[in-house]
Amino acid sequence: MTRKIRVLLVDDHTVVRRGLRKILESTNDIEVVGELGSGLEAITAAAELHPDVVLMDVSLPDLNGIEATRRITAATPGSQVLMLSMHADEQYVLASMEAGAKGYLVKDVDDQDLVAAVLAVCAGQTYFGGILGSTSGDGRRSPAVLSARERQVLAMISSGHTNRQVADTLGISINTVESHRKHIIDKLDLHSTADLVRYAIRHRIVNLSR
Amino acid sequence: MGTIRVLLADDHTVVRQGLRRILETDPSMEIVAEVGDGRAAVEAAERQRPSVAVIDISLPSLNGIEVTRQLAKATPETRVLILSMHADEAYIHQSLKAGAKGYLLKDADDQDLLKAITALHSGGSYFSPAVSKLVLRGYLHESVESADELAGLSDREREVLQLIAEGKSNKDIAHLLDVAPSTVETHRKHLMEKLHLHNTAAIVRFALRHGLIQ
Repeated sequence: MTRKIRVLLVDDHTVVRRGLRKILESTNDIEVVGELGSGLEAITAAAELHPDVVLMDVSLPDLNGIEATRRITAATPGSQVLMLSMHADEQYVLASMEAGAKGYLVKDVDDQDLVAAVLAVCAGQTYFGGILGSTSGDGRRSPAVLSARERQVLAMISSGHTNRQVADTLGISINTVESHRKHIIDKLDLHSTADLVRYAIRHRIVNLSR
Repeated sequence: MGTIRVLLADDHTVVRQGLRRILETDPSMEIVAEVGDGRAAVEAAERQRPSVAVIDISLPSLNGIEVTRQLAKATPETRVLILSMHADEAYIHQSLKAGAKGYLLKDADDQDLLKAITALHSGGSYFSPAVSKLVLRGYLHESVESADELAGLSDREREVLQLIAEGKSNKDIAHLLDVAPSTVETHRKHLMEKLHLHNTAAIVRFALRHGLIQ
Protein backbone atom coordinates (compact mmCIF):
# COMPACT_ATOMS: atom_id res chain seq x y z
CA MET A 1 0.00 0.00 0.00
CA THR A 2 1.47 3.38 -0.99
CA ARG A 3 1.56 5.90 1.76
CA LYS A 4 -0.45 9.11 1.49
CA ILE A 5 0.95 12.33 0.07
CA ARG A 6 1.75 14.65 2.95
CA VAL A 7 0.75 18.28 2.38
CA LEU A 8 1.51 21.46 4.31
CA LEU A 9 -1.04 24.24 3.74
CA VAL A 10 0.00 27.89 3.95
CA ASP A 11 -2.63 30.64 3.51
CA ASP A 12 -3.50 33.41 5.96
CA HIS A 13 -7.18 33.37 5.00
CA THR A 14 -8.13 30.75 7.51
CA VAL A 15 -11.60 29.94 6.23
CA VAL A 16 -10.14 29.49 2.72
CA ARG A 17 -7.41 27.25 4.12
CA ARG A 18 -9.93 25.12 6.00
CA GLY A 19 -11.94 24.67 2.82
CA LEU A 20 -8.84 23.63 0.86
CA ARG A 21 -8.00 21.19 3.64
CA LYS A 22 -11.41 19.59 3.39
CA ILE A 23 -11.04 19.24 -0.37
CA LEU A 24 -7.65 17.57 -0.06
CA GLU A 25 -8.66 15.32 2.80
CA SER A 26 -11.69 14.08 0.89
CA THR A 27 -9.32 12.16 -1.35
CA ASN A 28 -7.81 8.89 -0.20
CA ASP A 29 -4.35 9.84 -1.41
CA ILE A 30 -3.67 13.01 0.52
CA GLU A 31 -3.02 13.80 4.18
CA VAL A 32 -2.74 17.38 5.43
CA VAL A 33 0.08 17.37 7.99
CA GLY A 34 -0.11 21.03 8.92
CA GLU A 35 -1.80 24.34 8.15
CA LEU A 36 -0.39 27.81 8.77
CA GLY A 37 -0.97 31.46 8.02
CA SER A 38 2.63 32.66 8.03
CA GLY A 39 5.57 32.37 5.63
CA LEU A 40 8.14 32.29 8.42
CA GLU A 41 6.29 29.53 10.27
CA ALA A 42 6.01 27.60 7.01
CA ILE A 43 9.78 27.45 6.64
CA THR A 44 10.19 26.00 10.13
CA ALA A 45 7.27 23.61 9.71
CA ALA A 46 8.59 22.33 6.38
CA ALA A 47 11.97 21.62 7.98
CA GLU A 48 10.31 19.73 10.82
CA LEU A 49 7.59 17.86 8.94
CA HIS A 50 9.27 17.24 5.56
CA PRO A 51 5.98 17.35 3.65
CA ASP A 52 5.85 16.04 0.10
CA VAL A 53 4.05 19.17 -1.05
CA VAL A 54 3.75 22.69 0.35
CA LEU A 55 0.67 24.51 -0.95
CA MET A 56 1.65 28.16 -0.56
CA ASP A 57 -0.36 31.31 -1.12
CA VAL A 58 1.64 34.02 -2.87
CA SER A 59 0.51 36.76 -0.54
CA LEU A 60 1.23 36.19 3.13
CA PRO A 61 1.34 38.74 5.94
CA ASP A 62 4.95 38.38 7.04
CA LEU A 63 7.38 36.87 4.57
CA ASN A 64 5.86 36.75 1.09
CA GLY A 65 5.08 33.37 -0.45
CA ILE A 66 7.78 33.60 -3.10
CA GLU A 67 10.58 34.30 -0.62
CA ALA A 68 9.29 31.55 1.65
CA THR A 69 9.36 29.23 -1.36
CA ARG A 70 12.97 30.11 -2.05
CA ARG A 71 13.99 29.26 1.49
CA ILE A 72 11.98 26.06 1.67
CA THR A 73 13.28 24.69 -1.63
CA ALA A 74 16.81 25.47 -0.45
CA ALA A 75 16.45 23.99 3.05
CA THR A 76 14.10 21.07 2.36
CA PRO A 77 14.60 20.07 -1.28
CA GLY A 78 12.42 17.01 -0.82
CA SER A 79 9.36 19.26 -0.45
CA GLN A 80 7.77 20.43 -3.69
CA VAL A 81 6.11 23.83 -3.60
CA LEU A 82 2.80 24.55 -5.34
CA MET A 83 1.85 28.23 -5.38
CA LEU A 84 -1.70 29.46 -5.02
CA SER A 85 -2.78 32.94 -6.04
CA MET A 86 -5.74 35.13 -6.86
CA HIS A 87 -4.03 36.44 -9.96
CA ALA A 88 -2.39 34.94 -13.03
CA ASP A 89 0.38 37.49 -13.03
CA GLU A 90 3.23 36.54 -15.37
CA GLN A 91 5.79 38.14 -13.11
CA TYR A 92 4.62 36.22 -10.06
CA VAL A 93 4.59 32.98 -12.02
CA LEU A 94 8.16 33.53 -13.26
CA ALA A 95 9.38 34.62 -9.84
CA SER A 96 7.79 31.57 -8.25
CA MET A 97 9.42 29.21 -10.73
CA GLU A 98 12.76 30.91 -10.22
CA ALA A 99 12.34 30.50 -6.47
CA GLY A 100 11.92 26.77 -7.04
CA ALA A 101 8.16 26.25 -7.10
CA LYS A 102 6.99 23.34 -9.25
CA GLY A 103 3.50 24.61 -9.87
CA TYR A 104 1.24 27.65 -9.88
CA LEU A 105 -2.53 27.63 -9.43
CA VAL A 106 -4.93 30.49 -9.76
CA LYS A 107 -7.85 30.33 -7.32
CA ASP A 108 -10.40 30.02 -10.10
CA VAL A 109 -9.38 26.39 -10.67
CA ASP A 110 -11.72 23.76 -9.30
CA ASP A 111 -11.20 21.09 -6.67
CA GLN A 112 -10.18 18.47 -9.22
CA ASP A 113 -7.45 20.74 -10.57
CA LEU A 114 -6.19 21.29 -7.03
CA VAL A 115 -5.88 17.57 -6.39
CA ALA A 116 -4.34 16.93 -9.82
CA ALA A 117 -1.80 19.68 -9.18
CA VAL A 118 -0.77 18.23 -5.82
CA LEU A 119 -0.35 14.76 -7.34
CA ALA A 120 1.62 16.16 -10.29
CA VAL A 121 4.14 18.24 -8.34
CA CYS A 122 4.58 15.43 -5.83
CA ALA A 123 5.62 13.27 -8.78
CA GLY A 124 8.16 15.92 -9.80
CA GLN A 125 6.13 17.40 -12.65
CA THR A 126 5.29 21.06 -13.16
CA TYR A 127 1.67 22.14 -13.09
CA PHE A 128 0.05 25.41 -14.13
CA GLY A 129 -3.64 25.82 -13.54
CA GLY A 130 -6.26 28.52 -13.87
CA ILE A 131 -6.45 31.53 -16.16
CA LEU A 132 -3.09 30.37 -17.45
CA GLY A 133 -4.81 27.27 -18.77
CA SER A 134 -4.12 23.91 -17.14
CA THR A 135 -0.93 22.26 -18.25
CA SER A 136 1.28 19.78 -16.53
CA GLY A 137 4.52 18.10 -17.37
CA ASP A 138 7.21 20.16 -19.00
CA GLY A 139 4.85 22.69 -20.53
CA ARG A 140 6.66 25.95 -20.18
CA ARG A 141 5.13 29.28 -21.02
CA SER A 142 7.49 31.97 -22.19
CA PRO A 143 6.49 35.37 -20.84
CA ALA A 144 5.04 37.97 -23.16
CA VAL A 145 7.83 40.50 -23.51
CA LEU A 146 6.96 44.01 -24.57
CA SER A 147 9.56 46.15 -26.29
CA ALA A 148 10.58 49.38 -24.59
CA ARG A 149 8.51 51.36 -27.08
CA GLU A 150 5.50 49.14 -26.51
CA ARG A 151 5.80 49.71 -22.77
CA GLN A 152 5.90 53.46 -23.36
CA VAL A 153 2.79 53.32 -25.52
CA LEU A 154 1.02 51.08 -23.00
CA ALA A 155 1.91 53.44 -20.15
CA MET A 156 0.49 56.44 -21.97
CA ILE A 157 -2.69 54.71 -23.14
CA SER A 158 -3.31 53.46 -19.61
CA SER A 159 -2.87 56.95 -18.22
CA GLY A 160 -5.71 58.08 -20.44
CA HIS A 161 -3.81 59.74 -23.28
CA THR A 162 -5.33 59.76 -26.74
CA ASN A 163 -3.55 58.19 -29.71
CA ARG A 164 -2.85 61.73 -30.96
CA GLN A 165 -1.22 62.66 -27.67
CA VAL A 166 0.88 59.48 -27.65
CA ALA A 167 1.97 60.12 -31.25
CA ASP A 168 2.93 63.73 -30.52
CA THR A 169 4.79 62.92 -27.31
CA LEU A 170 6.76 60.04 -28.77
CA GLY A 171 7.34 61.75 -32.14
CA ILE A 172 5.71 58.97 -34.17
CA SER A 173 2.69 58.80 -36.44
CA ILE A 174 -0.80 57.87 -35.24
CA ASN A 175 -0.64 54.82 -37.51
CA THR A 176 2.45 53.67 -35.67
CA VAL A 177 0.71 54.17 -32.34
CA GLU A 178 -2.22 52.09 -33.59
CA SER A 179 0.17 49.43 -34.77
CA HIS A 180 1.94 49.30 -31.41
CA ARG A 181 -1.43 49.08 -29.69
CA LYS A 182 -2.42 46.14 -31.83
CA HIS A 183 0.88 44.35 -31.18
CA ILE A 184 0.50 44.85 -27.45
CA ILE A 185 -3.01 43.43 -27.49
CA ASP A 186 -1.91 40.44 -29.56
CA LYS A 187 1.17 39.70 -27.48
CA LEU A 188 -0.70 39.89 -24.20
CA ASP A 189 -3.83 38.17 -25.54
CA LEU A 190 -6.06 41.00 -24.31
CA HIS A 191 -9.29 42.24 -25.82
CA SER A 192 -10.00 45.82 -24.84
CA THR A 193 -8.62 49.08 -23.52
CA ALA A 194 -9.95 48.12 -20.10
CA ASP A 195 -7.86 44.94 -20.22
CA LEU A 196 -4.77 46.96 -21.20
CA VAL A 197 -5.22 49.37 -18.32
CA ARG A 198 -5.70 46.60 -15.77
CA TYR A 199 -2.61 44.81 -17.12
CA ALA A 200 -0.54 48.00 -16.96
CA ILE A 201 -1.54 48.71 -13.39
CA ARG A 202 -1.02 45.15 -12.23
CA HIS A 203 2.46 45.10 -13.77
CA ARG A 204 3.29 48.52 -12.39
CA ILE A 205 3.77 50.03 -15.82
CA VAL A 206 1.59 52.83 -14.54
CA ASN A 207 0.50 53.55 -11.02
CA LEU A 208 -2.96 54.21 -9.76
CA SER A 209 -2.76 57.89 -8.87
CA ARG A 210 -5.32 60.34 -10.15
CA MET B 1 -35.09 25.25 13.69
CA GLY B 2 -35.41 23.75 10.22
CA THR B 3 -32.82 23.69 7.48
CA ILE B 4 -30.89 26.84 6.78
CA ARG B 5 -30.99 27.39 3.01
CA VAL B 6 -27.75 29.06 1.91
CA LEU B 7 -26.52 30.67 -1.29
CA LEU B 8 -22.74 30.83 -1.85
CA ALA B 9 -21.20 33.43 -4.14
CA ASP B 10 -17.43 33.63 -4.70
CA ASP B 11 -15.66 33.82 -8.05
CA HIS B 12 -12.65 31.80 -6.91
CA THR B 13 -13.95 28.35 -7.69
CA VAL B 14 -11.73 26.27 -5.44
CA VAL B 15 -12.35 28.69 -2.56
CA ARG B 16 -16.10 28.44 -3.10
CA GLN B 17 -15.94 24.66 -3.26
CA GLY B 18 -13.96 24.65 -0.02
CA LEU B 19 -16.60 26.84 1.65
CA ARG B 20 -19.27 24.42 0.45
CA ARG B 21 -17.48 21.50 2.10
CA ILE B 22 -17.30 23.44 5.34
CA LEU B 23 -21.07 24.01 5.21
CA GLU B 24 -21.62 20.36 4.37
CA THR B 25 -20.22 19.40 7.77
CA ASP B 26 -23.25 21.08 9.34
CA PRO B 27 -26.42 19.01 8.87
CA SER B 28 -28.68 22.00 9.54
CA MET B 29 -27.43 23.74 6.38
CA GLU B 30 -28.45 23.19 2.81
CA ILE B 31 -26.64 24.87 -0.06
CA VAL B 32 -29.33 25.84 -2.52
CA ALA B 33 -27.11 27.69 -4.98
CA GLU B 34 -23.42 28.16 -5.70
CA VAL B 35 -22.41 30.92 -8.12
CA GLY B 36 -19.33 32.73 -9.40
CA ASP B 37 -20.59 36.18 -10.28
CA GLY B 38 -22.86 38.87 -8.90
CA ARG B 39 -25.52 38.75 -11.56
CA ALA B 40 -25.88 34.99 -11.16
CA ALA B 41 -26.13 35.53 -7.40
CA VAL B 42 -29.15 37.81 -7.77
CA GLU B 43 -30.84 35.46 -10.24
CA ALA B 44 -30.22 32.43 -8.03
CA ALA B 45 -31.50 34.23 -4.94
CA GLU B 46 -34.69 35.23 -6.74
CA ARG B 47 -35.21 31.61 -7.80
CA GLN B 48 -34.23 29.86 -4.58
CA ARG B 49 -35.14 32.46 -1.92
CA PRO B 50 -32.32 31.40 0.45
CA SER B 51 -32.41 32.34 4.10
CA VAL B 52 -28.76 33.42 4.06
CA ALA B 53 -26.58 34.56 1.14
CA VAL B 54 -22.80 34.39 1.63
CA ILE B 55 -21.51 37.00 -0.81
CA ASP B 56 -17.87 37.73 -1.54
CA ILE B 57 -17.44 41.47 -1.69
CA SER B 58 -15.57 41.45 -4.99
CA LEU B 59 -17.62 39.54 -7.51
CA PRO B 60 -17.31 40.06 -11.25
CA SER B 61 -20.23 41.43 -13.27
CA LEU B 62 -21.94 42.86 -10.19
CA ASN B 63 -19.93 43.46 -7.03
CA GLY B 64 -21.00 42.20 -3.60
CA ILE B 65 -22.33 45.53 -2.38
CA GLU B 66 -24.51 45.96 -5.46
CA VAL B 67 -25.73 42.38 -5.07
CA THR B 68 -26.68 43.22 -1.46
CA ARG B 69 -28.55 46.32 -2.61
CA GLN B 70 -30.47 44.36 -5.25
CA LEU B 71 -31.31 41.50 -2.91
CA ALA B 72 -32.65 43.95 -0.33
CA LYS B 73 -35.26 44.91 -2.91
CA ALA B 74 -35.79 41.60 -4.70
CA THR B 75 -35.55 39.10 -1.82
CA PRO B 76 -35.80 41.09 1.41
CA GLU B 77 -36.13 37.91 3.47
CA THR B 78 -32.60 36.86 2.44
CA ARG B 79 -29.99 37.89 5.03
CA VAL B 80 -26.69 38.83 3.43
CA LEU B 81 -23.32 37.87 4.93
CA ILE B 82 -20.48 39.68 3.20
CA LEU B 83 -17.17 37.84 2.95
CA SER B 84 -14.11 40.02 2.54
CA MET B 85 -10.33 40.00 2.83
CA HIS B 86 -10.15 43.38 4.53
CA ALA B 87 -11.82 45.37 7.30
CA ASP B 88 -12.16 48.38 5.04
CA GLU B 89 -14.25 51.16 6.56
CA ALA B 90 -15.78 52.33 3.32
CA TYR B 91 -16.74 48.80 2.26
CA ILE B 92 -18.18 48.01 5.67
CA HIS B 93 -20.19 51.22 5.67
CA GLN B 94 -21.52 50.67 2.18
CA SER B 95 -22.32 47.01 2.89
CA LEU B 96 -24.36 47.88 5.94
CA LYS B 97 -26.05 50.74 4.17
CA ALA B 98 -26.93 48.36 1.34
CA GLY B 99 -28.58 46.05 3.89
CA ALA B 100 -25.97 43.43 4.77
CA LYS B 101 -26.47 41.84 8.19
CA GLY B 102 -23.03 40.32 8.53
CA TYR B 103 -19.45 41.02 7.54
CA LEU B 104 -16.92 38.22 7.89
CA LEU B 105 -13.21 38.51 7.18
CA LYS B 106 -11.46 35.64 5.45
CA ASP B 107 -9.08 35.15 8.36
CA ALA B 108 -12.08 33.88 10.32
CA ASP B 109 -12.10 30.11 10.73
CA ASP B 110 -14.60 27.52 9.52
CA GLN B 111 -16.53 27.55 12.80
CA ASP B 112 -16.94 31.33 12.58
CA LEU B 113 -18.47 30.93 9.12
CA LEU B 114 -21.01 28.41 10.44
CA LYS B 115 -21.76 30.58 13.48
CA ALA B 116 -22.24 33.63 11.27
CA ILE B 117 -24.69 31.85 8.96
CA THR B 118 -26.63 30.47 11.92
CA ALA B 119 -26.78 33.90 13.58
CA LEU B 120 -28.06 35.56 10.43
CA HIS B 121 -30.65 32.84 9.87
CA SER B 122 -31.99 33.51 13.37
CA GLY B 123 -32.46 37.18 12.54
CA GLY B 124 -29.24 38.40 14.11
CA SER B 125 -26.05 39.85 12.76
CA TYR B 126 -22.42 38.75 12.79
CA PHE B 127 -19.19 40.72 12.42
CA SER B 128 -15.58 39.63 12.65
CA PRO B 129 -14.00 41.26 15.73
CA ALA B 130 -11.95 43.74 13.70
CA VAL B 131 -15.13 44.79 11.93
CA SER B 132 -17.21 45.08 15.13
CA LYS B 133 -14.66 47.49 16.54
CA LEU B 134 -15.14 49.81 13.60
CA VAL B 135 -18.90 49.46 13.61
CA LEU B 136 -19.29 50.08 17.34
CA ARG B 137 -16.97 53.03 17.34
CA GLY B 138 -19.43 54.67 14.99
CA TYR B 139 -16.41 55.50 12.94
CA LEU B 140 -18.19 55.17 9.66
CA HIS B 141 -18.97 58.50 8.08
CA GLU B 142 -20.44 59.41 4.76
CA SER B 143 -17.41 61.66 4.44
CA VAL B 144 -15.29 58.78 3.14
CA GLU B 145 -14.56 60.08 -0.33
CA SER B 146 -15.30 57.00 -2.36
CA ALA B 147 -18.68 56.51 -0.73
CA ASP B 148 -19.62 60.07 -1.75
CA GLU B 149 -18.60 59.79 -5.38
CA LEU B 150 -20.31 56.48 -6.01
CA ALA B 151 -23.40 57.54 -4.06
CA GLY B 152 -23.94 60.26 -6.65
CA LEU B 153 -24.56 57.64 -9.32
CA SER B 154 -27.80 55.80 -9.91
CA ASP B 155 -27.85 52.02 -9.35
CA ARG B 156 -27.78 51.47 -13.08
CA GLU B 157 -24.90 53.86 -13.62
CA ARG B 158 -22.86 51.99 -11.00
CA GLU B 159 -23.63 48.69 -12.72
CA VAL B 160 -22.57 50.05 -16.11
CA LEU B 161 -19.39 51.48 -14.56
CA GLN B 162 -18.30 48.09 -13.26
CA LEU B 163 -19.06 46.33 -16.55
CA ILE B 164 -17.15 48.90 -18.62
CA ALA B 165 -14.17 48.54 -16.29
CA GLU B 166 -14.35 44.78 -16.71
CA GLY B 167 -13.79 45.28 -20.41
CA LYS B 168 -17.28 44.53 -21.67
CA SER B 169 -18.50 46.13 -24.87
CA ASN B 170 -21.65 48.28 -25.00
CA LYS B 171 -23.34 45.43 -26.83
CA ASP B 172 -22.42 42.93 -24.09
CA ILE B 173 -23.58 45.33 -21.40
CA ALA B 174 -26.87 45.95 -23.19
CA HIS B 175 -27.40 42.20 -23.39
CA LEU B 176 -26.56 41.63 -19.72
CA LEU B 177 -28.80 44.42 -18.47
CA ASP B 178 -31.51 43.67 -21.01
CA VAL B 179 -31.66 47.24 -22.32
CA ALA B 180 -30.92 48.91 -25.65
CA PRO B 181 -27.29 49.78 -26.50
CA SER B 182 -28.34 53.41 -26.73
CA THR B 183 -29.47 53.24 -23.11
CA VAL B 184 -26.05 51.90 -22.12
CA GLU B 185 -24.48 54.79 -24.04
CA THR B 186 -26.61 57.23 -22.08
CA HIS B 187 -25.65 55.72 -18.74
CA ARG B 188 -22.00 55.75 -19.78
CA LYS B 189 -22.22 59.40 -20.78
CA HIS B 190 -23.91 60.38 -17.51
CA LEU B 191 -21.55 58.51 -15.26
CA MET B 192 -18.54 59.93 -17.05
CA GLU B 193 -19.91 63.45 -16.62
CA LYS B 194 -20.73 62.95 -12.95
CA LEU B 195 -17.33 61.46 -12.14
CA HIS B 196 -15.32 63.74 -14.46
CA LEU B 197 -13.87 60.80 -16.38
CA HIS B 198 -12.93 61.35 -20.01
CA ASN B 199 -12.25 57.93 -21.46
CA THR B 200 -12.25 54.20 -20.80
CA ALA B 201 -8.79 54.22 -19.24
CA ALA B 202 -9.96 56.76 -16.67
CA ILE B 203 -13.05 54.64 -15.94
CA VAL B 204 -10.90 51.58 -15.31
CA ARG B 205 -8.55 53.51 -13.02
CA PHE B 206 -11.52 54.86 -11.06
CA ALA B 207 -13.00 51.38 -10.71
CA LEU B 208 -9.69 49.96 -9.49
CA ARG B 209 -9.20 52.77 -6.97
CA HIS B 210 -12.66 52.19 -5.55
CA GLY B 211 -12.38 48.43 -5.42
CA LEU B 212 -15.12 47.81 -7.97
CA ILE B 213 -12.79 45.52 -9.87
CA GLN B 214 -9.58 43.78 -8.87
